[in-house]
Amino acid sequence: MRRRTLLGAGAGLVAAPAVLRAQGTGGRLEVAGVYSLSGTFANVGDLLNKGTQMAFEHYGSATGLRINYTLLDDQGDPGRAVRRVQEAMGQGIRHIVGCTNSAIALAVAKEVHARGGIYIHMAGADEATGSDCNRASFRWPGASFTAINATLRPFIERNPNTKRWYTITGQYVFGESLLTNLKSVLQEAGHRHLGNSYHSLSEREYSGYITAAIAAQPDVLAICNFGNQTVDVLRQAVSFGMKRNVKIVVPWSTGLDQFQAWGADICEGVYFGVNYWHGVDSPGNRVVSQVVRQKTNGPTNYLQACGWAVAQMLVEGLNKAGTAEIPAVIRALEGLSYEGPTGTETIRAEDHQVIKDYYLMLGKARSAMRDPADFADVLAATKAFQPPERTGCRMA
Amino acid sequence: MSGQVLVFQVLNGLGIGMIYFLLSVGLTMIFGLMRFVNFAHGALYLVAAYVAYVVSLLTGSMLWALLVGPLASALLAVAAERLLLRRTYSMPHEAQILVTFAVALIVQEVVILLFDPLAKNVPVPDFLSGIVFLGPFVYPAYRLAVVAVSAAVALLLWLALERTRFGAILRAGSESTEMVSLLGINVHRVFLGAFALGGALAGLAGALAAPLRGVEPFMGLEALGIAFVVVVVGGIGSFTGALLGGLLIGVVQSVMSSFWPEGARLMIYGAMALVLLARPAGLMGRA
Repeated sequence: MRRRTLLGAGAGLVAAPAVLRAQGTGGRLEVAGVYSLSGTFANVGDLLNKGTQMAFEHYGSATGLRINYTLLDDQGDPGRAVRRVQEAMGQGIRHIVGCTNSAIALAVAKEVHARGGIYIHMAGADEATGSDCNRASFRWPGASFTAINATLRPFIERNPNTKRWYTITGQYVFGESLLTNLKSVLQEAGHRHLGNSYHSLSEREYSGYITAAIAAQPDVLAICNFGNQTVDVLRQAVSFGMKRNVKIVVPWSTGLDQFQAWGADICEGVYFGVNYWHGVDSPGNRVVSQVVRQKTNGPTNYLQACGWAVAQMLVEGLNKAGTAEIPAVIRALEGLSYEGPTGTETIRAEDHQVIKDYYLMLGKARSAMRDPADFADVLAATKAFQPPERTGCRMA
Repeated sequence: MSGQVLVFQVLNGLGIGMIYFLLSVGLTMIFGLMRFVNFAHGALYLVAAYVAYVVSLLTGSMLWALLVGPLASALLAVAAERLLLRRTYSMPHEAQILVTFAVALIVQEVVILLFDPLAKNVPVPDFLSGIVFLGPFVYPAYRLAVVAVSAAVALLLWLALERTRFGAILRAGSESTEMVSLLGINVHRVFLGAFALGGALAGLAGALAAPLRGVEPFMGLEALGIAFVVVVVGGIGSFTGALLGGLLIGVVQSVMSSFWPEGARLMIYGAMALVLLARPAGLMGRA
């Protein structure tokens, strides 16, 4: 036997237990979550991680394997996220969930695909199940196309005379994605896009942008961003009296946690697009709500639900596949329908996008709130997704 | 962009600048007097903002929040100085940065532990929740009040520095601490007073900013970045410099949000670079 062959076989024998342990023999399955516990989106990352943790604790096991969940803190940086994932996959972990923003998800998705893993995430940029799709990645929430179409179209139906739009947009992948889709819908509807103010991801002072928006005299102000910056823009826009004669639309809101950050006075009369609402009655949502209420004594917010949803998808796929082997889990997930946090959710095989409801909500007056979490009413629930042939996804 | 919008953006920038001045003047005073780099300055801003949140939640009164918030920051500053920071005065600046940055991170994490990482709302007082018409433009009444308070504080601070014994000692100490000490003045007590005053000013900025921006645990570090830019632009240790620096940065940020929105934040640092090229010690700094 050649020396190299002998050495290689010996190395394989030594490494095999670690790899097998990571893959799920020995009764345990190692799963990693990629979330930011510091940086601009840290408040988002913490709650997403908690949602995922709660889900894995609730399910406990999948396909007969006990799930052992590890957090990879990417500190809000895509480069760091990729390095952490590389380290984890080098130790044999193949099942990865989560992301705090689209830039991180797109970077991690490429890495996980290249290394033969599976990755289930919650990125908002269209590219994740579009031009940057791959066989290893699955996405739970509706993306920017869904957010804009499920928000703007019913909004325009209800407000046919609001034809002049101004936008304030975070200048990064997701913000651009929202803006591109918004312009497309406005063009189709015959509305005018008067102008846009980009801002950097580190911005906190928006009075200048709001002044520019007011000067354009729009009928509608749309805020194309997510996270703390959306909170700041809306708060400052309302403080400048924009609600007096301008309708404000936030196509991508994380719902309850942001409503609580704003308070009812700011939310009143503002239109929000949300991927999840705790008030929706569905079998899957009842499970999530019960677990979250037991742990936190409060209603479920979007971040917790989102973190839960990606974990649930993995568990559903593992159980259907009957094994932790990646190709089998991927096949099991494609076309799978299950009861998720927003009702019956189906994973589209062509682009690995979950087809689910997206809600248009309208903030209500403080006096109309039935309980402290009843900030808004659901006006519409829409499954608005691009046909797979138009997403640009070529599954490799 | 029309002329009217430009004028309004300049006025808006002056308003932002007054808030930045309030945030930065304590920092420049401490560095000017003690040559001490206080990276915990943002933590004082953060603590006061959260105290304002709690007080306004419990009492419904922003006035109490504005009194208690800065007091809490001053007390924290005094405690930090007495228990920890005075041991670092003789250390190199790098050590001071490490220690004060650690304090800032500890405060941030304690806030997260106590309140969770999500942003919280601090309502604007009802009597200031409206808008004021400035020609064709509107301006929030609360922001106008913040500008007025900042201007009043600037005037009071100037009077204190120029017309009181304590102010004279601070100014003398920023020239030569050894000489002040030789004159029989307890320099440690002066440092403590300066820390308390700097903390109170940062705390006032935090309490005033809370209804504008809400409160969230990372606001301290973000504010620190702006504070250092203003201090460097204005000249380290200069009260007038902090005022001019704050106003300049505020105006640049506001005007650029119309000319080049995506670069408005970047141009804060661009303006700093240009100022330093022309005047390396800052606008009012001593070479």
